[in-house]
Amino acid sequence: MENVGSLVLAAEQEITAAASTADLKHIEIKYLGKNGLITSLMRQMGSLSAEEKPAFGAAVNTAKATVQQAIDDRFTALRFVELAARFEAEKIDVTMPGRQTRVGYAHILHLTTLKIKRVLGGLGFRYEEGPELEDFKYNFDALNYPPDHPAMDDQDTFYVADDLVLRTQCTALQGRIFANEKPPLRVFTVGRTFRNEAVDRTHNHTFHQVDCFMIDENVSMAHLKGTLGTFARAMFGPEVKVRFRPDFFPFVEPGVDYAISSPKLFNGRWVELGGAGLIHPNILEANGIDPQKYSGFAFGLGVERIPMMAYGVDDLRLFLENDLRFLSQFQGIAA
Amino acid sequence: MKFTYSTMRDYVATSLDAEALGDLLTMAGFELEGIEEETSEDPILDVKVMSNRGDGLSILGLAREVLAKDAGSQPTDLYLAAKSGFADFAPSRPAEATVRIDSPACNRFACVTVSGVSSAPTPEWIKYRLERIGMRSISLLVDLTNYVMLEIGQPLHAYDLGKLGKEIVVREAQDGETIKTLDGVDRKLSAGQLMICDASRPVGVAGVMGGFDTEVDDATTAILLESAHFLNTSVRKTRKQLGLNTEASYRFERSVDPKITDVAIRRFLQLLKTVLPDVSISEITDVVRSEPVEVVVELELARASRLLGMEITLEEASRYLSALGFEILATEPLKVKVPSWRPDVVRAEDVVEELGRVHGYERIPEELPIGHTTMGGIHGKYRLSDAVIEGMIRLGYVQVVSHTLRSEHPLDAPTDRIGPRNPGSPELALLRNSLLPGLTEAALRNGGKDVHLFEVGQIFEGQVGNTKEFPHLAILSTGKLTPANRASEQPPVADFYSLKAELEAVLTGIGVTPQFSTKEFRPDARFHPGRKAWMLDQAGEWIGVIGQIHPLVAEAADLPEATFLAEVWLDMAFHNAQENPQLNPISRNPAVSRDIAILIDKSVPFDDIKSAITTAPTDLLEDYWLFDVYEGTGIPEGKHSLGIGLQFRKMGANLTDEEGNQARDAIVAAIVELGGILR
Repeated sequence: MENVGSLVLAAEQEITAAASTADLKHIEIKYLGKNGLITSLMRQMGSLSAEEKPAFGAAVNTAKATVQQAIDDRFTALRFVELAARFEAEKIDVTMPGRQTRVGYAHILHLTTLKIKRVLGGLGFRYEEGPELEDFKYNFDALNYPPDHPAMDDQDTFYVADDLVLRTQCTALQGRIFANEKPPLRVFTVGRTFRNEAVDRTHNHTFHQVDCFMIDENVSMAHLKGTLGTFARAMFGPEVKVRFRPDFFPFVEPGVDYAISSPKLFNGRWVELGGAGLIHPNILEANGIDPQKYSGFAFGLGVERIPMMAYGVDDLRLFLENDLRFLSQFQGIAA
Repeated sequence: MKFTYSTMRDYVATSLDAEALGDLLTMAGFELEGIEEETSEDPILDVKVMSNRGDGLSILGLAREVLAKDAGSQPTDLYLAAKSGFADFAPSRPAEATVRIDSPACNRFACVTVSGVSSAPTPEWIKYRLERIGMRSISLLVDLTNYVMLEIGQPLHAYDLGKLGKEIVVREAQDGETIKTLDGVDRKLSAGQLMICDASRPVGVAGVMGGFDTEVDDATTAILLESAHFLNTSVRKTRKQLGLNTEASYRFERSVDPKITDVAIRRFLQLLKTVLPDVSISEITDVVRSEPVEVVVELELARASRLLGMEITLEEASRYLSALGFEILATEPLKVKVPSWRPDVVRAEDVVEELGRVHGYERIPEELPIGHTTMGGIHGKYRLSDAVIEGMIRLGYVQVVSHTLRSEHPLDAPTDRIGPRNPGSPELALLRNSLLPGLTEAALRNGGKDVHLFEVGQIFEGQVGNTKEFPHLAILSTGKLTPANRASEQPPVADFYSLKAELEAVLTGIGVTPQFSTKEFRPDARFHPGRKAWMLDQAGEWIGVIGQIHPLVAEAADLPEATFLAEVWLDMAFHNAQENPQLNPISRNPAVSRDIAILIDKSVPFDDIKSAITTAPTDLLEDYWLFDVYEGTGIPEGKHSLGIGLQFRKMGANLTDEEGNQARDAIVAAIVELGGILR
């Protein structure tokens, strides 16, 4: 029995003195392994009397448990110390640059288009596209432009042939839709348009437009204003207000020009965004739609206007120059 | 249209200052472009007049808008006088000129002759107002014609009666006739251009500019004053043909009130007599060829309110329309006569706009549409197109957007080209027939190496009369596929196979399984002849091309030789895109893998080996892959060694080694038939 007690004492001293978890493993094998000093005590059982056996067995088991507990406790402490040392040794400079990988990203005009699609799609408008090389008929005649009218001077047109132009406005899609579909209709498009004019910070011969229109019973200017307001707030923020001002476009009557203002944009100044109005009854009639039963609205705006206003882009030319120093700045825009 | 604040005050008694007046006009549809000399006593307002509102090109017209919209403003005596046509004058003698109108392009021609005129100076106040808005003061007579035009919108012209016959004929020119216009330019006329003539020759281009030979000057003692109404399309045509844009033509094109022809003459004489009270004036000669058509419009007020989305009462409607010069003929339903100066108003909706404009668009509430809901959103080919863009971005490509109009480029496609007739610059002479030139320019703008770019956009080909427009995807990939972070790293660089795998990935993403073929679809010299493939979809339809740039084209385009390019005809790719793939069941039993090394002639295309593998007589093959291509030491000239991994699996049962070996042997046997040797 004394032997058991002294073994436990010796083991405890060694455990306390152990400097590492590796040392502790050796101590564990030395005392508790298959041939360990304490484990081996059991072999003395054979030489003991029947009365001594239970007490001896219990003493050895207690010794084993005591030593195991001491080892486990010490192991936990030592492992903590060792990990701390390891962490210190393995420390890296987290401020060093990350391992660069190749990342693709979308063009800002595409991001803007996706956002427009999400908003107008969510309002129940269906996305469609028409050709960029458009029939004169759809670009002008079908939009109620009187023949040889000064309104056409507002838009310097690129002609490919007498009856074929690079579309000057995405509104050209309306005639194509009206010719093939019947109301109720809610449609929008985003696309490229062309005007033969000199290029500077605020003008480009090639730019992009949204055109959105609907025809149903009892569609009013209030519906137009509500849709535009909702659209503008989705694009520019919940504070945005919409204002209408009379304007003339042959394809709408009444026709308006709409502006938005927000305390977060241009100090709350009204900024014109595009043209809108109720679809001209001449256009409805030309497509067999009864203007007494149906009315519709349409609005358009420049796609580039949106990032110009929202992100402070001050030169229209930047959009089609493809300078990655420009394009890479919009990776944070969640379209 | 520019005018000074004081000129407007002549017509409207108002407490509105220049800025408030500008805001009011803006909200009436005459957008304020700017106020000049805003702090001066008499600021200058500049408003934009819409092309259908010729009546806004006069003080009288704008004053009408102010009076309709602002209840606090009152008409002045001058306004009321203008409204009633200005007081008649007492002619000293009968009319002495005769007028004959020989063309339907002239609706009305009026004139008086005035003798006893002299080169007295223009009154300072008129000179001041003209000069402040940028009109040069020339002489009393010319200044008065300009001032009356500014006031009421009717262009006038004064001829020196000493240089002009008294038989006026308004007729169309004959080819080859000439006139020297006021600006001193000799102009050759062509048939159809409307001219004012005396018995012997043209003396003025109708509605555009008077003639040089009949111009008034300091020696003029008698004049003939013309006030006429011409068809806007005729003036527009002549103006464009002669390239001669004037204040008069600008107004005639946009419409001039056909009923103020004589009114303008009376106003001119009124002003003239304030300077030269003793002039002798003839009676007016006034020839009307066609009376203006009176337009009467009927409108249900309830419908107007419904369209505007705001309630307008009968009382309001009557007040607004009367102020704008409409005559109320009936009220149930509302029936109005449109004033002669508003040719833009022809139907009910036009009147609805008038009501909304005057009532104020700011009063329209915001509402969202109700009614029939339709399927909104982005569907079909439009969704696939967005998916292609998304797929390319996922692969690490940067999207660019470049110009449609451009000049020639070494990477133009080998197709017919079209371009605008009036490009204005050689830089805009052609419509792109490939997106690769734009991608090249984008690559070069950004250093020209280690760039991986794509664009989705429209391309154009064909000839006039047969033009085609297609949506394209184009890709340019050159240099390191990932950046080297440390000097010791050697990242992989783009090659044919990297681009091929990326194309497969992006097309798989829209349900297209591309096949790559060396069979020539059409000659295309832009590519390296030995490193080019045509792409087909699963239905065998041609959808695009991929390859390394031809070294000579690379040189011409300033691109690295190791530049890899692809073009995909998206609508053709979408055509057979499989949107609803059917699920292949997944086996839960373990797979058995076997690697084989095959020595084979390099001339045997991998496609042949692929079909040997996939058609070999075993149904256990789940997957296979090429893991090594080796040539050099130990490999005979003209041959290479291909390492191919094979993976076998069964549904519902485990494979034995023996079954795996048998399946492998079946595949090896098929490859041996192609001349391969198992190493």
